[in-house]
Order: sequence, then structure tokens, then C-alpha cells
Amino acid sequence: MAAKGIPDLRTLLGSRRGGASRRDARPHRGPPEVRHTGRGSNADDAVRNTDQDAAGSRVSCVDLGYLHDPYAKLFALEPATRRLPLLNRGTYVRTSAIDLLIDRFMMAAPETAKQIISLGAGTDTRYFRLCDKYPSAKLVYHEIDFPTNTAAKLAAIQRHAQLHSKLRTDSPQDPASLGPGATTYHSATYNVHALDLRSLAHTIADATPQTLPNLDPSIPTLILSEMCLVYLQASTVSSIISRFVNDFLPTPTPVSLVLYEPILPNDAFGRVMTSNLSSRNIYLPTLSAYPELGDQRARLKQYGLADGAKAADNEWIWREWIPEEEKERVAGLEFLDEMEELDLLLKHYCVAWGWRDDGQGVFSEAWRDIRDAGG
Amino acid sequence: MSIGGSDLDKAIAQLRACRPIPENQVRELCYKARELLIEEGNVVGVNAPVTICGDIHGQFHDLMELFRVGGDVPDTNYLFMGDFVDRGFYSLESFLLLLCLKVRYPDRLTLIRGNHESRQITTVYGFYDECLRKYGSANVWRYCCDVFDYLALGALVTGASTSLTPTDGPLSDTLNADTLPDPDAELEIETLSSTGEIMYRYARNSSPQASSQPTSNPPSSPNASTTPSRVGAAGTGATSSANGSTHNEGGAVLCVHGGLSPLIDKIDKIRLLDRKQEVPHEGAMCDLLWSDPDEIDGWGLSPRGAGFLFGADIVKHFNHQNDLSLIARAHQLVMEGFKEMFDNTIVTVWSAPNYCYRCGNVAAILELDEDGSNEGYVRRSNGDAGRLKAPLVQKRLEGPGRRYRVFEAAPQDSRGMPAKKPVADYFL
Repeated sequence: MAAKGIPDLRTLLGSRRGGASRRDARPHRGPPEVRHTGRGSNADDAVRNTDQDAAGSRVSCVDLGYLHDPYAKLFALEPATRRLPLLNRGTYVRTSAIDLLIDRFMMAAPETAKQIISLGAGTDTRYFRLCDKYPSAKLVYHEIDFPTNTAAKLAAIQRHAQLHSKLRTDSPQDPASLGPGATTYHSATYNVHALDLRSLAHTIADATPQTLPNLDPSIPTLILSEMCLVYLQASTVSSIISRFVNDFLPTPTPVSLVLYEPILPNDAFGRVMTSNLSSRNIYLPTLSAYPELGDQRARLKQYGLADGAKAADNEWIWREWIPEEEKERVAGLEFLDEMEELDLLLKHYCVAWGWRDDGQGVFSEAWRDIRDAGG
Repeated sequence: MSIGGSDLDKAIAQLRACRPIPENQVRELCYKARELLIEEGNVVGVNAPVTICGDIHGQFHDLMELFRVGGDVPDTNYLFMGDFVDRGFYSLESFLLLLCLKVRYPDRLTLIRGNHESRQITTVYGFYDECLRKYGSANVWRYCCDVFDYLALGALVTGASTSLTPTDGPLSDTLNADTLPDPDAELEIETLSSTGEIMYRYARNSSPQASSQPTSNPPSSPNASTTPSRVGAAGTGATSSANGSTHNEGGAVLCVHGGLSPLIDKIDKIRLLDRKQEVPHEGAMCDLLWSDPDEIDGWGLSPRGAGFLFGADIVKHFNHQNDLSLIARAHQLVMEGFKEMFDNTIVTVWSAPNYCYRCGNVAAILELDEDGSNEGYVRRSNGDAGRLKAPLVQKRLEGPGRRYRVFEAAPQDSRGMPAKKPVADYFL
């Protein structure tokens, strides 16, 4: 073992370079409340950077045949690095679960105009995939993210004709007018809003009311948060959701929320997860607020999504939602030597979905047969 | 430069400091190791006392912690059940240190092959990349893989005592003294923390709660045993009074990384395999390294894509057929560090705490004491000898006394975490 008291100089060098992940790099790694009232930019950067993590994971999955997504590569900034099989499997389950919920939504009442709002959308390719899959759907798609992320996304769209051509030409704004450095884009079908979600929380928004261009207040709307709201305080999240389901989309507009987040912060794996992420300057306040599936369901009801409030962890979803032949196909893609670890990992992420549609609207119809994990 | 004598000791010192040794030394070391390993059978015979360890996975600082908890080489005999490399940040240093120790103390250390000791798996799970990063070429990875091909497939431990000498240590705060067995009882299982606190004791043929004698005699009282158990040779007289004859040699213990194979009904069949090759995708050799016990009847398909699942009936039959009292294996993460299954006929030992710096588990090692009453007696053929004294049909051989030492990950400040942290640890 290295002699005690003699620091390894290379490690110190690394810690400078490593920046946010190092103990000494931040004078104060306080609780998230502190960061939000002060200059929270370090933590915000860390959160924004998580998007390239997700993009890389998606590319790895596509390269190995887990997922079909011709657009994933176009958004990833770095060349694909192959992820470990268990991470590929986890990304596969996550993506497949959300795809299933959204597919059922798209297929229910196919003539009805619908809306999807993707919070912290980052480099997500869902809009482009939905265009291919449901070419005649009447869909209005909104993405909300930090300006740095929306700028990168719009730049990628401009770079690749494959993406650019998907911006439908009947839009009022000509796609070609997407200028360099643009952070927003608006059309009748696809909208990118450069926005810090926290500005939608009531406390702040009361002073400067926010509006979202092209948001239709009356059509069935699915709000998606894939590892997005989890970075905010529970009370802030409540305010943001309330802004959507009460102000932007007032009753009786059918509305639903689909969440993908970690759970179980209090067992051994969860404690290490929390600590490892905090060393990367990443905090997940709602994880401790809603530690279990039951808490996730209760939370959806509290938001007023009373016609359905369901949740299932990803291990359950893999077992129960993925058809047997698909499981066999996926299992055949790579040797997977990390079964126990995969189990642990999948059990610590969940999909929760809740809706309000008087119990007979499009969501009740779409998700009637989708089972949640007991509850 | 050749690696022998003092050079070897220098290399050991350097590796203990977690610094890689030069490429030419690795080549030399691997050559020496192969010469040594080629002489070993597919199933290595090992005499108790011995400390059995599970997966290490390149967690070098935790391997140092293991040696701190279990005693250093060559004071303690070790048997490592494979998966030295991949996943952790220091596969290279961990494996080379173990290999150096093997060459230096060949009779004190037994290394058997895990499913990660394979060219194909190491290219996916990190060892290949680590070698490339640390040496700038794949040469060292190639040398190591050549050694992998010579590692034994299993080991057979004989001469283990059926009962443990109680360890002299303080009782853990979490332990209810009333549940401790009578100090005169034959001690079958003992669990110790990394600081030597007694966390659990279990006497043979008792139920865990049964031994609540009005505690006239605290079992850990100094006069119960004055011999630190780690010495192993151990005056087995600690429980001398009534039951001297219970200190028998139990059946042998088969150690293998993964588990059993439907193609192997006798240990002799393992001995007949041609092991000097890359781990195949199927067949007996593959199964031994990949299979897992499971709560099923008979055999089942493994979700890992290689090897099989096998149930209690398979284990009990195999143990009976081969005069085994226990199978020790690794291969599966268990949060508590060890897990006995199927009426104590098989145990999983896992020695990588907080696996992948993520799982939050503790690790364990398994100590088997020497059978003092049989000192000097070496059983001839391992495992396939005739039945022991008992001329019975389905009676199980008494298992060895088992002392588990449980330990946590080495403290953060003892490990220089690598400058570049992997970023894809979680789904973000």
C-alpha cells in the first residue's frame, strides 16, 4: 500500500482536471436548497452534462442492436463508447417502457389531436422517431430544456438533413430560417423552448408570467420527465406540475405525467448511489421525497392525476412488460455476466405514470391494460 | 532482467504499493507462473487450514483490506476462486500481485480460474482496456491471458476440521449474548467482523436460537480459547471436555468459480478435461466457470448466456457421489458477503466489497481450520476415495467448521481514486 502521508501527486493533478467530481474542487457542497438560492451554476452544469451521458448510452444500445434509432448518433457529440452490457440492458428497459406508454397513447383514438411535452428533453430523439412511426398523427410536440442544450440540439438538427427534413414544411416558420445559435424553434408540430423549468414554479413565475408558444390548452397532453424533475426540489416540482395541469392545461383537458426516476435511496445500493452522484455534484432531491413506488403513486395523485396513478420498477418491467421472444432476442445480443448487479440496478429505477381524464378519456383507454407492480 | 529471488520481492513490494511493474518483468513473471501452473492438475489438492476467497475484480485496495483482515501471505494460506480482473480500476495490479505471490509462495496460494479470466470477457469488461492504458500496448494483456489458460479449474480442500476453535474476540454490539451456543458445543459457524468482533456463532445440530443456556460462561471468555484462530494449526482443545471425537475430518470441500455441470458427475471427470485453452462457450469447462445454484429442481438455463442453473437435488447428489461435505464457489454478488444454500451444502463467497464502487455490499472470506486430530495424515486420493467410516447410503458427511470474516470496502482515503472516473455509472 502507498505509504501513509505521502500524497500521490498524480491523483492530485487528476483532481484538478476532474473538476466537479473532486472533493476539493468545491468549497461547499451544501444541500440543494443552498445551491438554488445561491449561484447554482456548478450543479446546473453537472445536470446539463448528464444529457450527453444519456446520448452516449443510447448510441451504445443502437450500435449493439438493442434499440432501433437512426437518429441517436446524430445528436451524440462524442464518438460512441461501448457501454457495459448491464447499462445497455438498463437503457433498453428504460426506453422500451416509455415507448410502450407513448405508443399506447398514440394508438388510442388515433384521429384525435394530441400533445407531448418533454421536460429536459436534451438530445432525446423521440419526436423524430414518432414522425416516422405515426406519419399521419396530429401531434404537437414540445421540448423544454436549458438554452445550452436546446442550442446544441437545434445545431445538430441543422447539420443533418435527416433531422431537418422532419421539421414539417407546413409550419408557419420556415425550417430553413433556423439561424445559427438559435435556442428556440416554433412550429405547429415541433417546438423547442429554451427555458429553465424552475421559472415555471409559481413563486417565481408570479412576477414574470411565462407562456409556452403553440401550447394547445385543450387537447390530450402527455408530460414526460425522463430523469429531469428529479434534480429539483419536491416543492418546486409540485409548482411546475401545477402550472401545467392547472394553468396551461386546465380541467377538463386530459393530461398525464410519465416519470422515469431512481427509487430506493435508503438501502445499501441506494446510499452508495446517492453518495457517488453527489461526488459528481449531482443531487436528486425528489429521490428522498419519494423513496418507494407507493410514494410515487401517491405523489401523482397529489398532483391531481386522480384517474390513474401507477408505478413499476424497471426489474419488474423487464419481467412483465417485455414479451418473451423479445427478451430472448435481447439476451442474445451480449453475454451478460452481471445478473445480480443488473437486478439491483433495475430495481432502483422506476417508471410512474398518472393521468386525469374523467376516467373515460384517451389515457384511460390507452393504459387500461398496462399493469403496474402490485400496489 | 530476470524475475526471481530478490527481484521478485521487489516486484511484490512495488505491486503492494499499487504500482505496475515493467512490461519485461510481467513477461518473465507470466512465464514463471505458467511453468508452475502447468504442473498443477485441473483440480488442485489443498490441505486445511486455508482461507477461501471469492471475486476480487480489480479492487486492489479492497484486496489489501482482505489481506489485513485475513492475515498476510505467507502467514495465511489462501485459495482464490477466480475473477481477479475486470470491472475494478486495478485489475492489473491485483492480478500481478497475486501471481507474484503465487510464484514466490507456490504452496501458500492457490489460484483457480474464473469466467473473467478469458480473452473474450476481458475485452468487454475492462482488463484489456486497462492494460492498453497502462502500457500502451496489448502485450501485457496477452501475457496475462496466456497465464489464464493454465489456471486450475477447481480445488479440493481436505483435512478441514468439523468444528472451529472459537475465536477469542469481543462480542459485537449487535450480538445477543443469549443466543451464543454453549462454549462446549461443537462450533460449526462463526462470523467475525473486520475488526475481529464476534457477530454470530452457531453450534452443530442446534437451531440458531436454541442455545440460550443461562449464560454462566460467556463463550468469549479468555480462558475458553487462548489461541488466535488465524494461526490455524490451533489447539483444537478449546472444547475438549466431552466430545473429543467430534473433532473429525469432514468430507472434502470442492472449490470452483461458478458451479456444477450436467456433464460432470464425478470430480475425476474434471481431471480429464483439457483446460489449457480459452474458456469455451459451452461444455463442462465453461459450466464450471459460469453456472449458478438456484431454487429449482434439476438443471435450468442460465440467464447469463453461458453455464446452467442447478438446484439443491443436483448439489446433494453430487456431494454424496464425491464424498464432499460442501461446495464453495464465487461468481455471484451476495450483499452479505457469503450465502449458504441448500442445507449448507453449497456456499457462495464474495470478496469484492462495494462491488464496482456502486453496489453497497460487504465482502467475506471463509476460513477452514485444520483438523488437529488428524495431524500429519494426508488423505491419498482427493474426493474419490471410498466412503469414510460411515457405511451409509444417504447420510451427509459433516461439513467443515466455517469461519466467515466479513469486511467492508477499504476507506476512501486509502485508495487513490483514479483521476478519470467512469461516467456511465447510473442512468442519468
